[in-house]
Amino acid sequence: MSRKAYKWIWLLMAVALLAAAGQFQRLLNRQRTSPEIGLSRMADLGSNAPPVLAFTTVALGGFRGIIANILWIRANELQNNGKYFEMVQLADWITKLQPTFTQVWVVQAWNMAYNISVKFSDPADRWRWVQRGIELLRDHGLRYNPGASLMYRELGWFYQHKMGQNLDDAHKFYKASWAREMTAVFGGPRPNFEELRRPTTPDAERRVHLLREKYKMDPAIMEEVDKLYGPLEWRLPEAHAIYWAAVGLKNCKDGDLITIRRVIYQSTLISVIRGRILYFEADGTPVTAPNLDRVARASETYLRLSAEDTEQPYAIRNAHQIFLREMVYHFYTHSREAEAEKWFKLLKQLYPDVVPGNPTMEEFAVQRFTQNIENLSGDRMMVILTGLLSQYYISLALDEDKRADGFARMAGHLYQYNEERIRLRRKPLEIPPLEEIKKTWLNQMLNPNTGLLPMEMIVRLRTRLNLPAGQTPNETGGEAKPSATAEVKP
Amino acid sequence: MSRILAIAQLTWKAAFRFRLFWVLVILLLGCVVVLPLLIKHDGTARGFTQILLTYTLMTITALLGFSTLWLACGTLARDIEDCQMQVVAVKPIARWQIWLGKWLGITVLNLTLLAISAGSVYGLLQWRARQLPPEQQRILRNEIFVARAGIKERAPDIDRYVEQVFQERIKQTPVAPEEQPQVRQAIREQIMARLQVVPPGFQRVWNLDLGLHKNFLRDEPLYVRAKLFAAKTNISGTYQGTWYLGDPRNPASRILPASLAGDTVHEFAAPANIFDEQGRVMISFENQSDTALLFPLDEGLELLYRDGGFGFNFVRGLLMILFWLALLAALGLASASFLSFPVAAFFSFTLLMIVLSSGSLSMSVQDGYIYSGGDPSISPASKVLESALLSLFKGILELVKLVQAFSPVDALSTGRSITWTQLARAFGQVVILFGGVMALGGIFLFTRRELATAQGTQ
Repeated sequence: MSRKAYKWIWLLMAVALLAAAGQFQRLLNRQRTSPEIGLSRMADLGSNAPPVLAFTTVALGGFRGIIANILWIRANELQNNGKYFEMVQLADWITKLQPTFTQVWVVQAWNMAYNISVKFSDPADRWRWVQRGIELLRDHGLRYNPGASLMYRELGWFYQHKMGQNLDDAHKFYKASWAREMTAVFGGPRPNFEELRRPTTPDAERRVHLLREKYKMDPAIMEEVDKLYGPLEWRLPEAHAIYWAAVGLKNCKDGDLITIRRVIYQSTLISVIRGRILYFEADGTPVTAPNLDRVARASETYLRLSAEDTEQPYAIRNAHQIFLREMVYHFYTHSREAEAEKWFKLLKQLYPDVVPGNPTMEEFAVQRFTQNIENLSGDRMMVILTGLLSQYYISLALDEDKRADGFARMAGHLYQYNEERIRLRRKPLEIPPLEEIKKTWLNQMLNPNTGLLPMEMIVRLRTRLNLPAGQTPNETGGEAKPSATAEVKP
Repeated sequence: MSRILAIAQLTWKAAFRFRLFWVLVILLLGCVVVLPLLIKHDGTARGFTQILLTYTLMTITALLGFSTLWLACGTLARDIEDCQMQVVAVKPIARWQIWLGKWLGITVLNLTLLAISAGSVYGLLQWRARQLPPEQQRILRNEIFVARAGIKERAPDIDRYVEQVFQERIKQTPVAPEEQPQVRQAIREQIMARLQVVPPGFQRVWNLDLGLHKNFLRDEPLYVRAKLFAAKTNISGTYQGTWYLGDPRNPASRILPASLAGDTVHEFAAPANIFDEQGRVMISFENQSDTALLFPLDEGLELLYRDGGFGFNFVRGLLMILFWLALLAALGLASASFLSFPVAAFFSFTLLMIVLSSGSLSMSVQDGYIYSGGDPSISPASKVLESALLSLFKGILELVKLVQAFSPVDALSTGRSITWTQLARAFGQVVILFGGVMALGGIFLFTRRELATAQGTQ
């Protein structure tokens, strides 16, 4: 046979074998993904996967796992030796090799946000790693796993726990940085949803671009979330925890929604406890105070979520009764007895077992107060302190100076007690000086827009503190002293 | 010598004839240009420089390493298989000269390629650094583009101290001979705890001696590298404390409050001039957390200081890489001395894989088992086999350790000094010892090989 004929035969054989391999490949792929055989997971990357990822996933086949393992071992070794500069790259490779394996994304993001961040002493370094963890989930993980509830839960948790709570010594830096970034994106303290949905100026367009492209947030969903759970303080991390959990509730159908709902109701509680920013410290740390006006919306949230949940509705109802018990004494401490009474009634009505012995609202509130006082976190300490200061100023306005003195003394004692309690972690846990809190809280109370005091009481308090209309305590260079010693009432 | 050079020149010519040189130049320069565009980093200029330096040098080493093995196996085995060696061997040249000429040719080729690619990396790094703001440039200058050496506290003579305490103890309370090892061990642990553990509210002081280096360190930045472990983990994962850097009487001393994570290395800047006239530095740490903290004796605290510039350090690092490549060339040539090209290549790559997977071998040796999972009920034959394999692993690891002890890429990316002594040791261990053994074996086999017989692949 001639050489040319040989070549043709080989070529035809190659084509035939390729076609046959194509046929077998489909069968093999079916078998690989069959849950009965359970050989491997086939990655469905969707249509928007970058070509490099699609190629890697197909070309490496079963070797992807081995390569991921090698990279994972290298990452662990480097981490043990305190070398973190490769971590972002290694995490990127590891996750890209197993893009639909949710746990891999979650573990890598957690490692950066939690394990690596705390290895650094400088808060700016820590913040960088927290951001890298968030970015890995938000910018990449959700792209390939838009329906994975675990990923939304984790993302929400980073905002709620890592940034929102005070367990990390750099938590104030995180909050300050986030508030700064969000203020820049919103162009002010609160997002203008109409402007964000339909920007009309180049500056608004730039900010919307930033919001969508960098923070991956949709103004329409933000507005929806704000209406349903808010109004939220979007400069604080818990609003974003609620946002991502709400997006998760929309997108996920994988049946593990209780974890997402938990993020929502826990963050809703926090958005009551520190629902308003009083002011920013010199380093940008927001100093917060409670916003008890949000209690009704938060309670509705608990009830709605427990009604919607099919997995653990009892867990949400249990959380709701804990929430109500706490709110009763917060309202009481803030001298809002009528609201305390209202929520106490609801508590007794919905959860009679948790109010044994039929106590009065006052007895219940005082009992809760004394039980909780030892374990108050910084935010809750602010709730109680501002509550006592409210009582102080109201008593002053009513010329009940002896009572006012009592509340001022109590606030002072509580502040000292907190100072002693946080001595081992003073820097990350300290709250502003009591005089500063008094001054800013007085500002809040004198501001008619906050609705903390009726106009008549504002006028009385101003008169009592010798403050002309329109002047704030700050302008006087300190808190105004009572103008005259009030008559002591029996 | 001229004969060896003539063979080296022929090897060079072959590299150009097969376009290997140009292909490698394009690949190496390609990776220097493309890698910075692809890699993801932690967002700092320092992190980017470190990862760029690490990945480019690693890629260059890997590319040159594989091409060296391939070339070394090919140049000798293919010459024999294609019967070209027979033409050379009949010339007035000894076999050892042919072997060494090929090795020299490959090594000089590697030197050239390494110089081109590493020169581009150096240029790229310097160019990128110049685009950065002055503060970032200062960080790079002090932490990456530098050769830093470290001093640790002089290690106490624990054995002598243990013996002294033990003798005093047995004078007071006699101990039965069979219990003496346990008593010694208990004393050792007590002493180690006293030296390493800092209870809450206590201080640990380190006295370091810069010696003659103090003369070169006036106004130069110093860095403290510390590692600690916590007796009890807490919820935040960090522990409060205060560093006292320098003798408090020294005006340059500084107090630095710190929040430190356990089980990790912390590196932070210390003020310049915290040493006294004799070059002594006092550093202390006060534990303000509610748990005991442990600073290991070996890596608990190290003071890093500038030992030289980046340029020479970089060159020393590259020379170490060249030594590795020279060893690979010797390995390839040695295997090609008695094997055909495909088998020699397979054999060399397998050996390389064993060296690279020494981590797994060391894990097995540490665990004390390979496949039994520590199950004592396995058959005696399996037990014997496992024990023999473990001994083999231990032997391999001992050898591998001698070669792997030098990691220039790691040192360069963390700004650590590669000293001339380390370089000389690397040359001795990698090139002279291991390369020499392979060269002797290879030359011996090649000299005894019958070139005129029909070759396997013909």
